[in-house]
Amino acid sequence: MRLYMHWPFCASRCAYCDFNSRVTGEDLKVLYREALVAEISAWSQWIGEEKINLASIYLGGGTPSLMEGEEVASLLGRVLEHFRRECDAEVTVEVNPADWSARDFEQAREGGVNRFSIGVQSLDDDMLALLGRRHDVREAKDALRSALDSGATVSADLLCALPRVGRLAACDSLDDVLNSGPHHVSLYGLTLEERTPLAKRVKCGEVLLPTEDEAADEYLALVGMLRQRGYEQYEISNFSRLGYESRHNLAYWSREEYLGMGAGAHSCLAGQRFSNTPSILRYIMEIEAGRSAIETREPLDEAEQEREEIMLGLRKACGIREELLNGRQDSIAELEAMGLVERQPGRIRLTPRGMLVSNAIIADLLPSTKEADTNMEGARCA
Amino acid sequence: MDRSGTRNFCIIAHIDHGKSTLADRFLELTHTVPSQKMENQYLDRMELERERGITIKAQAVRMQYSPVEGEVYRLNLIDTPGHVDFSYEVSRSLAACEGAVLLVDASQGIEAQTVGNAYLAVEAGLTIIPVVNKIDLPAADFEDTAMELADLLGIDPAAVLAVSAKTGEGVKDLLRVIVQEVPAPSGDPELPLRALVFDSTYDVYKGVIAFVRVKEGVVSQGMKGLFMATGIRSEINEVGFFSPDMISCQQLEAGDVGYISTGIKDVSRLKVGDTVTDQRKPADELLAGYQEPKPMVFAGIYPINADKFADLGDALEKLKLNDSALTYNRENSRALGFGFRCGFLGLLHMEIVQERLEREYGLELVVTSPTVVYEVETRDGEIVYVRNPSDMPDPAALKEVREPYVQATILVPPDYMGNILELVKERRGIYEEMAYLSGRRVEIRCRLPLAEIVVDFYDQLKSRSRGYASLDYEHIGFLPGNLVKLDILINGEPVDAFSAIVDRSRAHDYGRKITQRLRQLIPRQLFDVPVQAAIGGRVVARETIKAKRKDVLSKCYGGDVTRKKKLLEKQKEGKRRMKMVGKVEIPQEAFISALRATREETPK
Repeated sequence: MRLYMHWPFCASRCAYCDFNSRVTGEDLKVLYREALVAEISAWSQWIGEEKINLASIYLGGGTPSLMEGEEVASLLGRVLEHFRRECDAEVTVEVNPADWSARDFEQAREGGVNRFSIGVQSLDDDMLALLGRRHDVREAKDALRSALDSGATVSADLLCALPRVGRLAACDSLDDVLNSGPHHVSLYGLTLEERTPLAKRVKCGEVLLPTEDEAADEYLALVGMLRQRGYEQYEISNFSRLGYESRHNLAYWSREEYLGMGAGAHSCLAGQRFSNTPSILRYIMEIEAGRSAIETREPLDEAEQEREEIMLGLRKACGIREELLNGRQDSIAELEAMGLVERQPGRIRLTPRGMLVSNAIIADLLPSTKEADTNMEGARCA
Repeated sequence: MDRSGTRNFCIIAHIDHGKSTLADRFLELTHTVPSQKMENQYLDRMELERERGITIKAQAVRMQYSPVEGEVYRLNLIDTPGHVDFSYEVSRSLAACEGAVLLVDASQGIEAQTVGNAYLAVEAGLTIIPVVNKIDLPAADFEDTAMELADLLGIDPAAVLAVSAKTGEGVKDLLRVIVQEVPAPSGDPELPLRALVFDSTYDVYKGVIAFVRVKEGVVSQGMKGLFMATGIRSEINEVGFFSPDMISCQQLEAGDVGYISTGIKDVSRLKVGDTVTDQRKPADELLAGYQEPKPMVFAGIYPINADKFADLGDALEKLKLNDSALTYNRENSRALGFGFRCGFLGLLHMEIVQERLEREYGLELVVTSPTVVYEVETRDGEIVYVRNPSDMPDPAALKEVREPYVQATILVPPDYMGNILELVKERRGIYEEMAYLSGRRVEIRCRLPLAEIVVDFYDQLKSRSRGYASLDYEHIGFLPGNLVKLDILINGEPVDAFSAIVDRSRAHDYGRKITQRLRQLIPRQLFDVPVQAAIGGRVVARETIKAKRKDVLSKCYGGDVTRKKKLLEKQKEGKRRMKMVGKVEIPQEAFISALRATREETPK
């Protein structure tokens, strides 16, 4: 079993973010933390009388580093009253470089955290300002250094496909980041979400985004650079030195079971996906009242599980089992001829160029759902 | 009844010159419509007519008028459409009348169609009553307009009446003059029945209703009718007139205008222009009819939602009941699915049909670029009429392609003459002659390919003359042209909806514009897609839609796989709704936008 904990609070909202996070006061955070622990406790009892083993724990947000290192350690301690951690369990916390000093990293480390994911995003001050990040380049570098000094595994989050501002290109940021020596890099293309401040600025022409071709060229250049420096791509957005893949992250793409706790957290357990209410207040109320905070449920039948395996598995560098795509040999041959797909013994995977257009490829290869077939039949008959 | 008190007349006017408003004043002054029920454009019953300020459907209305006590006249007004697309309706109305009010706007002067229709009326032997309207306007120039009318008709300017249909000024005098000048109808009521069908409509309960002018004899309720041209026999269930609603009566006599209901359920069987007679006492000869209107402009009409194909068919069938000029045949387009190739009198007619289908039947439609009908002679001597460019035979099999031409008359103030001559030249016109009508107006006569005027010629004419030029035309048949069929190929596959027949000299330019537009509208695929314009096997323009480079979801926040799945499912679902041209997926909207743009960008 794997555990995700969501810390939905932020000190300020980034200009590109439409995710479930809130800027709020201290009182609510205390109530929320109690609810989170209560939910974890309740779930551990529902699942079984014996303590369940955890292969990984991930504290994400929002901004969990708004808690001090010591608080994170104590939260972790309370979780482990209800679960047992496997000896080589991966325990990750997301950290905003503006928040933690070397001491926080050390305290979290002492509390059992062994992996830090640092939200560097860019190493250009103008860009960081445009993105509405709270930290600057110096703080980002300090955070990377302190995290590494603590002896934990360190991942740096970087954004690409960013607006054209500042003097530095994405590969300069990446070069700088790699020089500090993280074990792992996550490279996310900026997605412009509607109604975010950045989207508005782009819409009115104040901020210029790269064209599709520029963004694609940049991504391929970054992937090349990472490979050259010894970072292997194991998923569309994730790269690591050998043996430092994030096992928690891979579990999402490999359809392993995980329990998501906290407001808006998602779980995949016992053949279904479900998620909690994203409302912090409602979440606290439900948990305090001893009820479940689950808001959506999606049972997965066998066909849907296979569809997920294709959809999620093709994001991974190791790809999927070839038999999942039986009957699609023609399409695969065409994609292979275009250099977007590669065959390996018994497996099919996307090339880096293929990964860049993975949506189109997945939409092409994915079998239709039964409902969609029925709908189309109806349309044809009428 | 004694027919010495009957006057049958119509109003001939250019669009916007005030015909419907004048008709309103007549209805008021004769108390045909009670004043509390009166509204503007009373006779234009269709929503679309009122909105656009045009008459689409002819109307016949009977009015009682008494200029002095003791004297009562029966006035039959036949209201007709003013637009050139509907000019055949004018000739119909002329055949039902003895007189015509020739109405001209005092601020606009004579327009080309006024001239054309005035000649038609004179030829039909009608008494013309020249009237200048809108004398209340500040820009009105009664003297000059009256002079133009006098020149046109060869009469004394003093005979021209001045009215304001809006304020009612002069309208009473006009009614008095109509009674005085327009002759009472002749025709012997004792002879066998001969009545001219000048229009028809359809009523769910009564079946086909024919609008008739009785020339000789009497038509009465219960009579066994015979439509002489088609040979259809049908009982006359009801006889009546419009005042302005349908009012049934015992009979209509020689000289009367009214309607007969037939019980015929299939409107297409009744031919407008036919002669009705009595089966028991049939007439020997048909009345001189007039040419049936032939559709000149064709376009494919497709439902945006393929499920609505059957609804579209039903709607067209219903529209056709009241619009005998409309034709439609089922066709299948690779890009657009099932639809109908429809024939129209002209572009306005096409727009009206489209709007009525959308408005009255709630359909969402795609309409392809309008095309004319081409007369094609093949090498083995066969003559083929091509109404859809994709039906054009192979270039190797062609001997000659002929296109329809019109004889056009353009009236324009001398200042803009140069602009208009240039336009005529651009549109492959053959200039013939020019004459000055008064000092204000030049008449340009020329021949033009119909294809050049069906699209935006009229708009160009107006914009290059600041709105002063006007156009009238009549069809003069087919003339040979240097025409080629241009195909548009996407990834090597021809797409029928974009095929066009164009003049060879413009094929390249047209092809370039369409390919550029498609490049912008078709989304990038996983591979490069060439878009080509070709004549036969020769490519004249080419664009490339570069392969898609980036289409990826990156972050998965906190294991929220559902959000990603939904996006991918949506993309998958979107793919299923795409139209496939070979391996290329094209959203229906891209076709629609390209077609819309293409209609505005016809071969030039």
